[in-house]
Amino acid sequence: MAAADAALPAMFKPVRAIGRSTLGALRMVGGVGMFALRGVISVFSPPWFPIQLLRQLVAIGFFSLPVVGLTAIFTGAALGLNIYTGGGRFNAEQVMPQIVALGITRELGPVLAALMLAGRVSAAIAAEIGAMRATEQIDAMRTLSTDPFRYLVAPRLLAATLVLPLLTLVADIIGVAGGWLVAVRILDFNSTIYVRNTMNFIQGWDVGSGLIKAAVFGFIVALMGCYHGYNAKGGARGVGRATTHAVVSSAILIFASDYFLTTLFTHA
Amino acid sequence: MREQWAETLMGFLVLALAAGFLVYSLTVGGVGGKPGGYDVTAKFGQVGSLAPGAAVSVAGVKVGAVSQITLDPKTYLAVAKLTLDPDVKLPSDSTAKITSDSLLGGVHVAIAPGGAADDIKPGGEIDNTQGAVDLFGLIGSVMRPQGDAAAAPTAGAAPAANPAATAPDSY
Repeated sequence: MAAADAALPAMFKPVRAIGRSTLGALRMVGGVGMFALRGVISVFSPPWFPIQLLRQLVAIGFFSLPVVGLTAIFTGAALGLNIYTGGGRFNAEQVMPQIVALGITRELGPVLAALMLAGRVSAAIAAEIGAMRATEQIDAMRTLSTDPFRYLVAPRLLAATLVLPLLTLVADIIGVAGGWLVAVRILDFNSTIYVRNTMNFIQGWDVGSGLIKAAVFGFIVALMGCYHGYNAKGGARGVGRATTHAVVSSAILIFASDYFLTTLFTHA
Repeated sequence: MREQWAETLMGFLVLALAAGFLVYSLTVGGVGGKPGGYDVTAKFGQVGSLAPGAAVSVAGVKVGAVSQITLDPKTYLAVAKLTLDPDVKLPSDSTAKITSDSLLGGVHVAIAPGGAADDIKPGGEIDNTQGAVDLFGLIGSVMRPQGDAAAAPTAGAAPAANPAATAPDSY
């Protein structure tokens, strides 16, 4: 094989580079897929670690509430102002409550909650598991016949998938409250009418589709954190690289899957 | 550990804020008025976009809410059940009228009190009613008095772009 490589003319070098990177990308997609499959299987098969799950639920869910709440209230307020300006061009300022509610529940609530979680949780998971990998704790775990997938990966996957819809629900409420605050305090809307318009307009599916999205995003966030942490190589620098990769890849996957899920929901 | 306490506190604060706004929304935007109100009914030929939860006002002051809208299957009239503040007694010849909050906003029921000596009893009916006005039908009948306005009932912006009105759907 090496002889054949040497025999090839230099002009094939770029072609080989393209081929190598393509195969590398494919291998990575396959690796993530296999990792996800193993993760899901270990979520659904014993032994379970309920204490670990509880700890992750609190760490991922409860401690993300302040960040998610702050993001939601400012986004709702800014969205409200912008829609008021935009609506003013059609003399339709009155539709602001409805559009804010729709935008928050269908799109911004789940996506922003997921992005904050990607920054906060995905990085933390990658750093934690990456550090355990770098200090060979994962190998030690295996020698003690504890499956690192069941002990480390499964609780995080399950916790993030369960908790992000709940965070999104909070983000929906607080986001609408942000729009309401701006409308009532600055734009002189009637508080009662604003709230009533919102409540009458919103349908169950607006919120429900956002929650389904959120569950998928939660899985992605935890999966990327676990995958990059688990496969971290090369000590402290490797851990640093793993956290960056985890955040970036989960953010990109969130946006991509958001588009596809939205397409699915609007055509379903 | 101290930092954890702060975060825990913040988490509860956020939850409390969300719960507070949700409760406020449900009480304000939810169906039904104040507890302890009394119900009267009013029959309308056309309720338009009136929905349960809409306000009932006298002289612009909210005195209750629409709690239910049903169709009378015999007369094909819409029956609105209004839940009113117990402090507000309406003369029996009052008029209920469906009016718009704004051009695009919701609608509410405005009650013009009459002059009769006796009041409407709880469970009674407001006999004099005026249903919702079909705004676009009205615009259409002004724009095209000939009567084929039914072809484009929602093309509100069409005349400005196309005064000849030969193409009703100029989108």
